Amino acid sequence: MSGTPGTTDGAGPEAAAGAGPAPAAKPAAGLLGRRSPEDRRRARRRAALRKYGAVLLLLSPWIIGFVVFTLTPMLISLYWSFTHYDMASTPRWVGLDNYRFMFGIGKIHGIKAADPYFWTAVKNTLWIIVFGVPLRVLFAMGTAMLLTRPKRGTNAYRTLFFMPSMAPKVAAALVFVYLLNPTTGPVNQLLNMIPGIHAPLWFYDPATSKPALLVLGLWGVGDAIVIYLAGLLSVPRELYEAIAIEGANTWQRFRNVTLPLITPVIFFTIVMGVIDGFQYFDQAYVAGNAVSGGQTSVLGSPQNSLLFYGLYLYEWAFRNFAMGYASAMAWVLFGATMTATAVLLLTSRRWVHYGGGT
Amino acid sequence: MRRTTVRSALLIIAVVAALAAVALAAGCGSSSSASSSPAPAASGTDKTPVTLTVWHPWTNPEKKVFETAIEGFTKKYPWIKLNVVGFPDSSTFDQQLIKAINAGNGPDVAISFAPDYVGQYAADGLLVDLKPYLAQDNIPADEFAAAARTYTSFKGKQVVLPVLADSYGLYYNKDLMAKAGITAPPKTMSELMADAKKLTVRNPDGSIKIAGFVPLEAWEELDPTDLARAWDGQYFDAQGQPQLSRDPAWADALTWQKQLVDWYGYDNILKFFSTYTASEFDANNAFQNGKVAMVFDGEWRTAFVKRYTPKLNYGTAPFPAADTMPQVYGVGRVSGTVAGIPRTAPHPDDSWLLVKYMATDTDFLVNLANGLGNVPTTAAAATSPDLTIMSPQFKTFIDVWNNPQSSYSPPLTSSGAGYATLLLQFDDKWVAGKVPDLHLGLQQVDQQISNQLNLVAP
Repeated sequence: MSGTPGTTDGAGPEAAAGAGPAPAAKPAAGLLGRRSPEDRRRARRRAALRKYGAVLLLLSPWIIGFVVFTLTPMLISLYWSFTHYDMASTPRWVGLDNYRFMFGIGKIHGIKAADPYFWTAVKNTLWIIVFGVPLRVLFAMGTAMLLTRPKRGTNAYRTLFFMPSMAPKVAAALVFVYLLNPTTGPVNQLLNMIPGIHAPLWFYDPATSKPALLVLGLWGVGDAIVIYLAGLLSVPRELYEAIAIEGANTWQRFRNVTLPLITPVIFFTIVMGVIDGFQYFDQAYVAGNAVSGGQTSVLGSPQNSLLFYGLYLYEWAFRNFAMGYASAMAWVLFGATMTATAVLLLTSRRWVHYGGGT
Repeated sequence: MRRTTVRSALLIIAVVAALAAVALAAGCGSSSSASSSPAPAASGTDKTPVTLTVWHPWTNPEKKVFETAIEGFTKKYPWIKLNVVGFPDSSTFDQQLIKAINAGNGPDVAISFAPDYVGQYAADGLLVDLKPYLAQDNIPADEFAAAARTYTSFKGKQVVLPVLADSYGLYYNKDLMAKAGITAPPKTMSELMADAKKLTVRNPDGSIKIAGFVPLEAWEELDPTDLARAWDGQYFDAQGQPQLSRDPAWADALTWQKQLVDWYGYDNILKFFSTYTASEFDANNAFQNGKVAMVFDGEWRTAFVKRYTPKLNYGTAPFPAADTMPQVYGVGRVSGTVAGIPRTAPHPDDSWLLVKYMATDTDFLVNLANGLGNVPTTAAAATSPDLTIMSPQFKTFIDVWNNPQSSYSPPLTSSGAGYATLLLQFDDKWVAGKVPDLHLGLQQVDQQISNQLNLVAP
């Protein structure tokens, strides 16, 4: 995440550094003529310092930003994760207590203690990843494939499908809470016209609240559609022509040409989807808030079915003032996200093809 | 050579700047230890011109009401100028205040809507203890109702004073009552249940057209604590341990709640709730529009009725008490706006003049109450002939405020009120029929609350 600015900035300083120290070093050697190994080493060190000094100087805007706004807060939160800290008094060192409480292997004042809803939050988060990510991939890929078909008005269709993903998440969630209201929402009013159908309670029922969020997620899948569209359109025509000559049917065309060539796109959307899933927050916050009466709301309502990891972390940090425990939760989340991403990266070698020809 | 020097100088500056920033960021995290509060000087003696910064979370139109009402202060104390700063979001106000006090740049006077934080303000010494000032100015202990103490003082420290209050009771629709043949508002929980059933009107498909009383915790202002209060339920025992499973009031209250939910049918009451979830504070409010006959609500509803449905024929009464505990009748929940002096305030004696004015000046309180529709917090203001919001319906809430047993809930702790969510989470499952053993469930909630408070305890 923070690697990109560093590498882009890095291109500049190197070019500048190459030009910088060279003229300064040469006349020095000429004047002295004879130099001891110690002198030479010192000169080399000075040259290196000058070279890297320039690099560092030019990198400094990013370095300062990174150190101040990313690295330091991260290290402070790592420290806090081993403390009890209520944001007003001084943090108190408690060792691994926060982590023990989280995983339910801890004791507080000698009594076995476990976070009552930690695993609920973990399960909800995994649920939204396990169902949300594949659905998103399939839906975006399917829609993108359909969008490559029309001969006319393609731009209009693409705009239409992309537009929902431009809506702010909070606004979109509020609209869906309204649309899916069990009594006053238009969706259920339509469903109720069909005899024999028991319209679901959507966000008000723990059994349907997460699926309702999936519906909301699929509505806003336009950003992924655009990426798939780009991927599909970059598949070389001649490959399709070649396989057509071989007499392949539609499925074979998809299976042997399209699919392998868009695996990088699939991989990208999966990784991003998993990372987003770990941090799922806004939509669940809005929906849970709306169905639990607003003011004195219970986050993750109904019945903790929308209590996702990020939401629960927020509750500990900003409602319970357990900043130490919330920091510990943040580090566990960081570890889980890194692990999941690493696993995906490792397995990707087996199935992601980066078009060898180009 | 010179170029190099300049370059390394710049580099050193950059590194130093980065280190300084890091140190600063780290410094913000830790807090300084509580400073000893100086003995107050006799108030009003030093008339050196001074400007006091006041932070408050009112937003318009209430912001204007406050700004107008507070002008009286500068007339009374012409050497003190006020810099009144309104914050746009009351839900993050206290966190910002805590941060500012810890960083040493808090205001001279802070006004907060959230008594939940008062325990923390007192325990961490963020606000000055006002007891010496009260003693010095001979302000008697009964200047404010006894109920105020439950949310303005914590462990012997009076860190804030009340500036208008909210109190809660039962609103009932007189026309619907008459139609159902009920002549007086319910006084006991059995009567409330019976009346709720009589007042309920169903559609042909069994769904609810008009609800007598909606017993869900998510419904508007109702909280399990308010139900338990009818049985004189207490959250914590004398040792400060949660006792939801040991004080029978809680099981009684939750059983009452579940009985009524089951009578409606959980899905029916949930659907009814979903129709009005978003309408608590707008023109579609269920009580204002005669869709619910009785509701547990705060005094401000009288102002809403006046604004949206002035023709509504309604009455108010204290919330009913358990059949076996008639002495509890008249007791209710209270809450309110509070004002205090941050420990970092440079002119605490002048700050005190302002806090005292806002908490005790009758004209100020009456003007503010008339503008905001809240309960005046002193006896003089509550009985003032200038109190234009006074009405038979409003009188109920002044009485609840003045009842010595009325209290703020959930009780203050040094780590806020986040623990109360654990009971709400439990209650949501309970009314949905997902708790097989109530007693065991409440034992678990007790354990969860105690764990959570320990986890945050400084």
